[in-house]
This record gives sequence, structure tokens and C-alpha cells, in this order.
Amino acid sequence: MTGILTISKWELRKARTSFGLKTRFLSVIILILIGTASFFAAQSGLHINDNIYKVVVTDDSIARVLESDAKFVVFITNQENAKYLFEKNGFDILINGDKIFYHGNDKSIAALDSLDKTVKRYDETRLLSYNDLNNTFPLWITVKNIAREQAFMSPSINKLPAIEKSLEKKSTTQKESTTVIENPEIEKSQDYTNIPSINDITEIKKVSPIREQSLATPSHLSPPLPFKSVVLSFIFIFPIYFIAQFFSSSIMEERVKRKGELLLVSPVRPYQIVLGKLLPYLLGSMALVAVMTFNMGGSPWIILILLPVSLMFLSTSFLGAIIARSFKELSFVLIFLSVFLSGYIFFPAMFANIHAISIISPITLVVRLLENETVSISDYMFSTAPFYLVSILIFAFGIFIYREEDLFTQKPIREKLLDSIQEFIRKIPVPLFSLSIALLPIVFSIQLMLIVFLFNFPIRTGIFFFIIVAAFIEEVVKSAGIYTVFSRKISDMTTCNAIKFGILSGLGFFAGEKLLLLVVIASIAGSAFGSAMGIGLLVFPLLLHVTSTTIASLGIRYSGCRNYLASIVLASIVHAAYNLYLVRGVVFG
Amino acid sequence: MANTGIIVKKEMKSLLHEKTLLLAIIVQLLIASFSSLLVLGLASFFDPSSLDRYDTPKANVGIVGTGELRQFIAKSQVDSHYYKDIPSAISDFDKNKIDAIVVIPKEESGGSEIIKVLVYLPKSDIRGTFVTLALKKPLEEYENYVRDIRGARIGFLPIKLYVDELPKKTSTYFEFIYGILIPLLVFTPVFISGGLIIDMLTEEYERKTIDLLLVSPLSFPEILNGKMITAIIIVPAQAFLWILLVRLNGVVVHNVILILLLSGIIAAMVVLIGAIIAVRYKKRMISQYLYSLILILMFLMGYLFTDSPFNLVTRLSANSMGAEVLVYCGVYAAVTYGLYMAVKKIGIT
Repeated sequence: MTGILTISKWELRKARTSFGLKTRFLSVIILILIGTASFFAAQSGLHINDNIYKVVVTDDSIARVLESDAKFVVFITNQENAKYLFEKNGFDILINGDKIFYHGNDKSIAALDSLDKTVKRYDETRLLSYNDLNNTFPLWITVKNIAREQAFMSPSINKLPAIEKSLEKKSTTQKESTTVIENPEIEKSQDYTNIPSINDITEIKKVSPIREQSLATPSHLSPPLPFKSVVLSFIFIFPIYFIAQFFSSSIMEERVKRKGELLLVSPVRPYQIVLGKLLPYLLGSMALVAVMTFNMGGSPWIILILLPVSLMFLSTSFLGAIIARSFKELSFVLIFLSVFLSGYIFFPAMFANIHAISIISPITLVVRLLENETVSISDYMFSTAPFYLVSILIFAFGIFIYREEDLFTQKPIREKLLDSIQEFIRKIPVPLFSLSIALLPIVFSIQLMLIVFLFNFPIRTGIFFFIIVAAFIEEVVKSAGIYTVFSRKISDMTTCNAIKFGILSGLGFFAGEKLLLLVVIASIAGSAFGSAMGIGLLVFPLLLHVTSTTIASLGIRYSGCRNYLASIVLASIVHAAYNLYLVRGVVFG
Repeated sequence: MANTGIIVKKEMKSLLHEKTLLLAIIVQLLIASFSSLLVLGLASFFDPSSLDRYDTPKANVGIVGTGELRQFIAKSQVDSHYYKDIPSAISDFDKNKIDAIVVIPKEESGGSEIIKVLVYLPKSDIRGTFVTLALKKPLEEYENYVRDIRGARIGFLPIKLYVDELPKKTSTYFEFIYGILIPLLVFTPVFISGGLIIDMLTEEYERKTIDLLLVSPLSFPEILNGKMITAIIIVPAQAFLWILLVRLNGVVVHNVILILLLSGIIAAMVVLIGAIIAVRYKKRMISQYLYSLILILMFLMGYLFTDSPFNLVTRLSANSMGAEVLVYCGVYAAVTYGLYMAVKKIGIT
């Protein structure tokens, strides 16, 4: 422990010396400029689609209406000229008197829709000036949301048949909502009704992506997309991005300047070095998040939700920093990983109030807390467990190769990854069995990511692709250890060994998968698809995992390590074929 | 000049060799796929005709009460089911027979009270979204109907415009593609190149290889120019690739050459900023940090005014402007030239 703290202290001192007074001063200036710029953005709206549509009109009063929206370039002229401009000069819309003409292309049609919205908005602003709500906004809608049980898409391919079952279930068992029948008012209801002020309307007039749903007239009745909260939660992620960048820079700098060599020969152990370096960055990012939460008056639970997110970003930057061979490579690896992670956490959050699948992302929980909704422990478990597990895993594998021959040589990335697996095999008992279990969180996370993609495709196509890609990922993970053992010549490449390893690895994967299902998934949707986990589903996946891994393993044995990819593809085909057979009802109708 | 060429060649080779460019392209592919998924998601919310992909049935709505609104809903796309009271409707709602309940009040359009409609929707459920959109239209039509009657009392005349045939599509999709997606795709390579020049320069400083380079016949400005040129020329190349990919997806991008020219000028500007930071600070950690801050600032500024590079790309790609963009290109090129003079000054001292 003292070793870790000493390293932390050094790390802090290093950071302090690299940030001179001038740098700090400069960053404050830039931050002030950013603040000013965002203030202007909030004031005048974003000029995203300014001047995109060209409209020619013959009547100035209509021109005035259109000029209230910056999207339009308006040109006033007489009839013949207007017609000529519309037909020959690329104008999207012609308004001749009160008659609109448009072209059949996408742009012109979009312009027409925009025009319609602008006119409506203009009219509503005029109506508000009358200050007579009963006659101007005669229709008010109060929305009451009632909870009812819904289907949840299963994240594991072996459980895909559960989709069908849970869908059926949805329409039959309604334990939770029977209470609602007698007492609909007990459920938390969202009441959108309030009296609009002139400000509300003028605010909406500005084209801003953050639009609050406060008006309940029909034109403002829209699906509950939580844009504002998503943007807010993006602000939370910012310090995490930055601090992860510092962390990776610091590690990479030691590698490039070879200062880290001295630490490695000191009595501190590699894990102490890594944890010691991690500690100040982790605490720093959590402190920043805490300050921001406090300032915004958010729930303190937000800090707990962002802890695994911060860990995830730090662990991936750590991995990037130890596998990259140059600054350029580090930058690209980090950009890649952070774009991937951001997609994973923000994309589902966009649908936070709409679909249960959004709970995959911890940011959804943040969004919910920001909107004063509740988050249960099982929600927390479900969305953060993959983050905790994967980041711990990455740190563990990173620490395995936190040694001279990997840090200070120009080994290719693949060799370094193999090195870390080799270390795992050397250190852990029953290596192939445990490796499959250890790598499982990664598979789980990638599969969740796939579901996020699947969500947007037609369900049949989505499931079809999901099964194929998921099978491939599972086969890669299950055979990674076998490949390492054979290619690094840790064991003899015999048929007997190949079969033995295949069985061990497949068994490990199966055991890990069921463990994960019990811990994570059962806790979230226990009632909805607990029954689908029948005995049949337990026995067949075992055979499947063992068989397919043995195929891959034998493939490596007979065609050599060079044809590793071909062996995996073969194993994936078998794997996917079985799963497709299982869910044939869903996929092929 | 020949020496600069040597540096360009060397840097290009190392870029391609390290497969880093490949990663950069994958990054952009990811951004593109996220954005297009988002487009798909959003478009399906606002454009009910695209909802067929979800195999969703028609929205079933329970109706309680007998006001005028009833006819408007009956005429619309939703399937109406009539109930005599709220509890019986809610029991069907819980059995998933209906997805929403509309409680219609007694007030008539001819009266003077506000007509308060109560709508029950399923909480956090995709069906709730669909049914909300389906109900929006009849509610709006009814509002207009009531307004026509009541607005006359206060002398309000709505703006009336007529069109022969109203197409069903909305502008959301178009404005997202041209307003956000295409500028983002064109400028992501620019932002990456700014970071790239910092990596190229700080690596030479931190590994101390810059000293080796300087004892060679190369001068510092030549090294700097060579690196900057590499970082700049890959931008239009990547942007072109993007435009090509977008084209394959069926989105037509106009004025490609002008867009590439603009992206090159902005790339030069951003790369020069990166180079100034790297030469001043020489350490990757601080340089990248400052660059990221400035990047946020530039990104925000890009949305702050009409005729910003983002907006110009939007208008060029949507064919809302043509060669007149050259005026703005000239302005941005002048700023870039100013930055180049600044780099030269720092490079010499």
C-alpha cells in the first residue's frame, strides 16, 4: 500500500511540474472563451442549417414570415421572374401569391416541410401576443404515463428464444400493473400542463437542439426524447475524457523517455506502479465529477454511476499507452477507443425514456437521475457490471505485460496481446478454463454493443447478423488461449491436446456465461424470462461451446497457426448455424 | 524544397506503415455509423411512414367521452376503441389491447373554455412513442378547427398558403444529413490532422531525434513544412473518401471540389495551430491538452455564425451555394497565411 501511495505522490508531483503557471493561465483563458462561445450559442441558437433553402416569393408579407427563420434565403420579385428563377436557377420553393410550388427532389420537399413549421411557429407567436389563451390556444393536453410490463431483449444469443417468450408473456402476465387498474393516480404521472409565457414561445422559435417539453398544445406533443439530459451528461463525461488523456500521456512519456525503466528495477511491483499511477487520475476525475454534480444539484448517486465509466476510460487509455509504439499510434488507438465507448454510452441514452434497452448504458441512469426518476440497484448492476469487469480485466492483463520486454521494445500490438495471455496462462491455475471465464465480460460488452446496433434494424435482419457476429466473437475469445498455447509452443501440438484444450475452454466459457446470467441478467428481468432458462437451454449450449471450440482447436492443430482465422471462421459457422436453428422461428418467420 | 519533399515522403510512409491511418478511417466509419443510426432512429420517430420497418401494428387508442375530437381521431390513422369509463379502458390498456387512452371533455369548439384533453400513455415504452406520433396529427387538426372558430372572435387571421399535394416526408432527415453528418465527416479528418502534427513534432522532441535531424542537411523550417504538408494533404483525401461513401449510400453531395478545397484550407489552419502549440510546448501531454481545449472552442465557434466552415459545407453539399464560396475561402486562406507567418517566426527563434 505504501508503495502505491509513493508512486501516486510522484505522479502528482510530475503533473504539477509539467503544468507551469503559463499553461494554467492559458487554459483558463481558453475556458473563458469556451464559456463565452457557449453563452452565445445558447443565446442565438446554433447556425447549423442557415441559408440552406432558397425560396422565391412574390409577396413581401410572406417574405417577412420566412425571414423569421434563418434557414431560408428569401428573394422577392415579380411573377415571371420568380417562375424563371424557380425553374432554372436552383430555387427550392416558389410562392406565387399564396400558392406554393416545389420540385420533387428531397431538398425541395424538406424545404416545404420546414416552411410549414416556420409558418406554424410564426402564427403561434402572433397568437400569443393576444394574451387570450381560451381563444388562441384552446386545446390543452395532459399526459399521464402509466407503467406496464414490457418485453426486454435478451443480450445473450443462447437466450434469444426468450424474446418470443417474453413477448408472449408481456400480453398475459401483468402482475405489476394489476394494481394500476384500481388506482391509476398512484403511479407517478407526468403533467405537462402549465401556462405558457411569451418567453416560452420565443425560446422555441430559436432553432436549438435542446428543447424543453413544457407546452402541452398539440404541436408541442412529441415523444419524450431526453436530449437535454443527454447533453448535460455529456458535460459530466468531459473531465473523464481529459483525465484519461493525461493518464495515457504520462505512461507513454515514461516509455518514450525510458524513465520507467528505473521504476521497474526498484523493489515496487508492477501492479503497485500501475495502481499508484492510476490512483491520482481516478480520484481527480471523480472529484471533478463530484464538483459538477454538486454545482448542478444532481443526485450524489451520479458519482457512483460514473465511477465505472471513469474506470473504463482510464483502463482503455492505459491499454492504449502500453501497446502503442508511437505517439501517433497512441492517438489513433485512443480516438478509436473513445469514439467506440462514447457510442456505447451515449447512443442508448438517447432513447432513455423510450425503450428498456437503453439501460445498457450507465449514462441512461444518469439521465434518469437528472430527470428526477428512480434507479434501482438491479439497474445499476446491469449497466455498470460490464464496465467494472472489463476495466478490471484490462488492468489485470496490462499489468501482466508491464515489464521491460513489452514496454521498451517495438513489438507489434498482436505480440503484446499474446504476451499478456501467455502470462495469464503461466500464472493462473487451469488456464484455458479460467481464461474463457475471465474474457467473458468483454464478449458480453461487445454483444450488448451489437444489440444497440440491432435495435435500429428490422428485427429479423438484426437477429440474423447478431447471431453470426456474436458467434464469431465468442469463438475468437474461446480459442485465443489455445492459439497462444500452440503458437508460443507452451504445449505440444497434438490431436489429444487440441481436443483437451477445446473441451476446457468451451467448459470455461459455458460456466462463465451462466454465472454472468445468474448475477446480472436474472436480477434485471427475472420474471420476464426466468422461465425461458429451461434445462434444455442449459445442456445444449454446453455441448455447443465445447464442440465449436474443439473444431477451432483441431483446425489450428491440422492447418497450423497461420490459418487461425480460417479455423475460427469454421467454428463460428457451426456455432452460428446451431443458434440460427434454435431461433429459426424468429428469424425466418 | 527537395528536402521538404523528403520529409513528406518519410512521414507518409510511416503513416501508412503503422496502419494508423486505417484506424483513423475506422474511427470515422464508427462516427458515420453512429450518426446514421441516429438519423434512422430520429427519422423513424418523426416520419411515421418509415415505421413499417419495425413491423409495428397500427396504434390502438381507447377513447372515453363523446366530444368533437372523437371524429378527428376516427378519421386519422389510429384504430379507435370506445369505452364508457376510464377503469374499463385502463384494464384493456394493461392487457396491451390498447396503447393509449384519450379522455375527451365535454367542452365544445363553440364554447369559450379551454378544452382539456387527458391522455394516458405507457411509460418508457417504444409503443408510447409511436402512439404519441399517431395522435399528434388529429389533435393538431382539431386545434386548428377550434382556432378557426374562436380565432375569428379576436380578429386573428392565420397565414394561409396552398399547395397541390402535400408530400409525406419531413425535413428532419435531410437537415440532419446535410446540416450535421456531412460537415462532421468532412471535418473529422481536419481535427485528427491537428492532433497528428502534434504527435509528429512532440515525438521528435521527446525522443530527442530532432537533434539528429537537425545535424543532417535539413533545416528546421524544412522539417516543419514537410510534416505539416503531410498532415494537410491527407485531409482532402479522407474527405473525398467520405463523400464517396456517402454517395454510395444514396446521398448526393454537390460541389465536391469546392468542399475539398475548403477542407484543405481549414486543415492548414488547424494544423498550423497544432504546430504552433507543439513547437512552443514540446511535450505531448500539454500540447494535446491545449489543442483539445482549442478544438472545443473551434468546434463551438463553427456553429456560432452563418458562413462558418461547417455552414459553408452544409450549403455547398446541399447545392445552396456554388462558386461564391471562393470569397469565404479567400478570407479563411488569409487567416491561415497569418498563422503560417506566426509559425515561421516561432520556428526561427
